[in-house]
Amino acid sequence: MPIIEVKNLVKQYKIIEKQDGLLGYFKNLIKPQYKKIIAVNNINFEIKEGELVGYIGENGAGKSTTIKMLTGLLTPTSGKIVVNGLIPNEKRIQNNKNIGAVFGQKTQLWWDLPVIESFRLIKKIFKIPENEYRKNLKRFTEILDLEDLLDKQVKNLSLGQKMRCEIAATFLHNPKIVYLDEPTIGLDVFVKENIRKFIKEINKEKKTTVILTTHDLKDIEDVCDRIILLDRGQIIYDGEKQKFKDIYGKYTLAEIIVSSKNLSVKDKLQSNVFEIIEENEKEMKIKFKHDETTIVKIMNDISEYCVIEDIHMRESELEDILKEIYKGAYKNGANNDSIRKNAIKKI
Amino acid sequence: MKKILDNISLYLSFLKISLKEILIYRLDCIVGIISQLIVQAVSLIFIFIVFQNTENIAGWNFRQILLLYGVTRIAIGISGYCFDGLYDIGPKYMQNGEFDKILLRPVHPLISIIGASREFVSLADFFIGLGITIYMLIELSIPITILLVVKIIFFSVIGALIIGAINTIFSISSFWTYKSNEVIWSFYNIYAFAEYPIDIYNRFIKILITLILPFAFVAYYPTMDYLGLNNYMLYLSPFIAIILWIIAVKLWNIALNKYRSTGT
Repeated sequence: MPIIEVKNLVKQYKIIEKQDGLLGYFKNLIKPQYKKIIAVNNINFEIKEGELVGYIGENGAGKSTTIKMLTGLLTPTSGKIVVNGLIPNEKRIQNNKNIGAVFGQKTQLWWDLPVIESFRLIKKIFKIPENEYRKNLKRFTEILDLEDLLDKQVKNLSLGQKMRCEIAATFLHNPKIVYLDEPTIGLDVFVKENIRKFIKEINKEKKTTVILTTHDLKDIEDVCDRIILLDRGQIIYDGEKQKFKDIYGKYTLAEIIVSSKNLSVKDKLQSNVFEIIEENEKEMKIKFKHDETTIVKIMNDISEYCVIEDIHMRESELEDILKEIYKGAYKNGANNDSIRKNAIKKI
Repeated sequence: MKKILDNISLYLSFLKISLKEILIYRLDCIVGIISQLIVQAVSLIFIFIVFQNTENIAGWNFRQILLLYGVTRIAIGISGYCFDGLYDIGPKYMQNGEFDKILLRPVHPLISIIGASREFVSLADFFIGLGITIYMLIELSIPITILLVVKIIFFSVIGALIIGAINTIFSISSFWTYKSNEVIWSFYNIYAFAEYPIDIYNRFIKILITLILPFAFVAYYPTMDYLGLNNYMLYLSPFIAIILWIIAVKLWNIALNKYRSTGT
């Protein structure tokens, strides 16, 4: 049985449509004009216990709205959500016992007090048994390296230190499900890695289900097994991370450092087996597939127009693939959905 | 019942951690207490001036009025400290999304909010009120019996609960205005009516402070009782407190549900 079940979920907001000019503002005051916005449009998914799911999409795709509905902070317009056997917005307080959540840079710790005071109060709020609390505190201190932080006031901690404490606070009551909304935003690489490691270890130890939204796709690459990709309120991909990469975007990226280049190579050289993504006087970025051409052939073609100095190659990553999907939408605007849909069909 | 005790115990924990937070800012505390003392002094001087021009107000003499003032301050002091968290839920929670954090706890959000009280200076109110009350009881040669002490404690707590419940009801507007609660401030002005015997007012104000916003139960009826002026209204006050809290929590829940469905 899935631990999270989402069926035909819709969330519609009603916002006041701003009218221009002073007169417009007065009109709004007396008789506001409402505009409906569909933030989440009929989505369905199921998540099993212990899964590590990356919930991704552009800004405004509806990620946070979904998370807020899953946690019971928002009431859905229509559709069904069952989390661990409960309907979150009806049994919010009961549901809260089973879940943990981190929202961006907001902290649940008490700002002016030492971290340990917050932990103690959380223990009381969630009625965590003494031995469990001690065990978790010890384990978390070890992985997240909190030893020296516990006695410091929260306001004196750096962003990274704060987030490590925040993550520990979120997992302290052994939640069955944890929602992490941009937990790594603004953090340095070491803290990010530390937090990823923590999530993975706790997931392994306690079978905690984790739903992670992030713009840092390294997080997803590193932590998640499954991706749910959201676009303008709809799910456009739901499945294994590996499959996503295999089917949609297995290509190679080559960065070629060049010199003596005067003209735009892109205009001169039309090829159907490779694509020049970017170029300037010193550098060209090229995308190709191994089964269609080779780097040697490409170099041959290019060398007619410039001198090649150096080459770096790498396989496409999740980020590149998503960039492509998003870029398609930006280029073609809202009226040309077909290209995007084709991209999705490919998946 | 266990649930209620659990909630009270949690509330006290929240209050304790808030107190720790306040005490870190020592200077803030001292300045706050001094300003509270000045406010009190001004009120007392005002009463003093009034009584230089008249012997009594609606049959109450200077000392009796001061007793009423003292009893009022005790209740306001308790409620100010215990329920202060409600004033600024707009800027403190709604504007910056802090409210979500509170909604994610397995506790009713009201417990978290009223527990986050930082109105330490209200304790100054409380002690000034206590001092004046004791002094006036002696001046009026009212014997301080155990029964009287129990009554004062009991009805002061009830009075504080009545103010707290009304605060809670008014705090609901913050769900939509996102502003600090001007409504509560204006209600404090209405509250000033209750610092004098209600007999001096016309019928409209009497109805307002006994039935609509039952401030008369906070200090006026209890003080009448302490003065030996029997009244049966006093014994309604515990029920009024309970009914007001039931209404307050129900309304708050309705507002909360509405808030969650609009998702502003």
